[in-house]
Amino acid sequence: MIAAPAVADATPILEVRNLSRRFGGLWALRDVSFSVPEGQIIGVIGPNGAGKSTLVNLITGHLRPTSGQVLIGGNDLTGARPWVIAHDRVARTFQIVKPFRGLTVRENVAIGAMHGHDRDHSVREALATADELLSLVGIAQHAKATPSQLNIADARRLELAKALACRPRLLLLDEVMAGLRHQEIDAAVELIHRLRESGITIVAVEHVMQAIISISDRVLVLHHGSILAEGPPRQVLADQRVVEAYLGHRYAKRSTR
Amino acid sequence: MVGLQQVIEPGTQRLLTSVFLFVALAQGWNIIGGYTGYASFGQVAFFGLGAYAAAVLMTSYHVSFWIAMPAAVLFGVAFAVAIGVPLLRLRGHYFAIATLGAAVGAQEVITNLTPITGGGGGITIPTFGAQAPTAYFGKPGFYLAFLILAAASVALATVLSRSRFGYSMVAVHQDEDAAAAMGINTTWVKVIAFGVSAAIVACAGAFYAFQQIEFYPTDVFDANFTVLMVIMVVIGGSGTVIGPLVGAVGLELLSQFLRVNLGTYNQLIFGAIIVTVVILFPQGVVNFFRDAVRTRQFSILDNVRRYRL
Repeated sequence: MIAAPAVADATPILEVRNLSRRFGGLWALRDVSFSVPEGQIIGVIGPNGAGKSTLVNLITGHLRPTSGQVLIGGNDLTGARPWVIAHDRVARTFQIVKPFRGLTVRENVAIGAMHGHDRDHSVREALATADELLSLVGIAQHAKATPSQLNIADARRLELAKALACRPRLLLLDEVMAGLRHQEIDAAVELIHRLRESGITIVAVEHVMQAIISISDRVLVLHHGSILAEGPPRQVLADQRVVEAYLGHRYAKRSTR
Repeated sequence: MVGLQQVIEPGTQRLLTSVFLFVALAQGWNIIGGYTGYASFGQVAFFGLGAYAAAVLMTSYHVSFWIAMPAAVLFGVAFAVAIGVPLLRLRGHYFAIATLGAAVGAQEVITNLTPITGGGGGITIPTFGAQAPTAYFGKPGFYLAFLILAAASVALATVLSRSRFGYSMVAVHQDEDAAAAMGINTTWVKVIAFGVSAAIVACAGAFYAFQQIEFYPTDVFDANFTVLMVIMVVIGGSGTVIGPLVGAVGLELLSQFLRVNLGTYNQLIFGAIIVTVVILFPQGVVNFFRDAVRTRQFSILDNVRRYRL
């Protein structure tokens, strides 16, 4: 395993400053700040509706923040369009998988290789890149299938391969393990490990915390749109507020009524 | 096909010429409506503007057709970009209605710019003597011209569909958020696709104008053109190169056949056939057969069930 280089003056690959997003009267995210050093795996956990997907959408330009800043590699890319972010080597997966249904699995992945950072200049090259990535995520046998023929685990692998095809330095995973069985989760964890070792920084958003917590260098807990706790996994898990947010959710709700 | 104009009788020649026109129009619509998934219901605007741009240049400025035609194409593209930038932010029905409105607006402007366009009184391109900027092609000439136009539009669609740009159009069609996340500048892809689509249609409009010699705004802004483009692509199979080709050839031949043989009721029967085909093959004939061959399921009844809401 690579020890995260803790150089104090290194520019973080991702820095979020006082990021807020309001939908009507609801603050989906409020005053969230954190930074991600290169080479780390950051786990973002939190109950449903905590603002996890909103956070990802704000970083990748799919939503514009109400206020705050997003810096990628030190550059202010707040509110930039998604393809600008993608060309700056930030890729993502979607919580609800978004395959291109009319294309084969292989073509789905090739799209990223054609249009992401350092793109392949021909369709043929892009398809070759796609084949490599399908092997990496373990669905090479489905290359010529259509996305609708994949089960949920393979559909999530496709989602991952599509993101990797954009050749990211920072990868945002929005619940890639949701709905997977134990064995499939183990495989996904192992894959995320390998990606980090190949030099990709990873921000993994998960609702199910056990799996991601085991591989995260740091964990961020979101609750009602704000950061509830942040730190090394062990410390965060021991935090009383985190336990309450997760386990005592129903209890807490009842007592505030 | 080339050389056939010397042999075939004038009636068949006229029929094939109009088949070629619709092949080009259908290929044009398919770029934005089929591949990119933005169903434009104002496509006739580019046809009419292309026709008028060419006719005005030839009539008032005595410009050769070979300069007026590319100028008409540029004019069509410019209009597509101008309305595309705001309108391509709309999706689905909203885009359809907005483009429909743009086409009506374009017709109104042309009709009321009487000093330039001749207004509702129409326009006549001089085709004889010293007045003619370009010698009239004649029936065989236009047969050949529209054949080349159709072939060029099919070739362009083929090259586009296999290019990286072709894949970006499909990606935008299927999921715009995912496409943008993978580095596709979705705004550009939509505007360029709309522009290419307009270029083909405006070019067809310029040839049509010259062929007609004399025409009125109501002829070249006739919404039936848009409707036919859409139907031909949808029935043939949108998002493929073969689909619009099959749809345009099939429907134009069918429509002529019915007109000649059925008299009064030809439109009714034509409509009924279109409705039936759409019910049986909602994804288009070409897409049905491609999938049927791949999955070895040839049952049309199953197909109807699969696409039923």
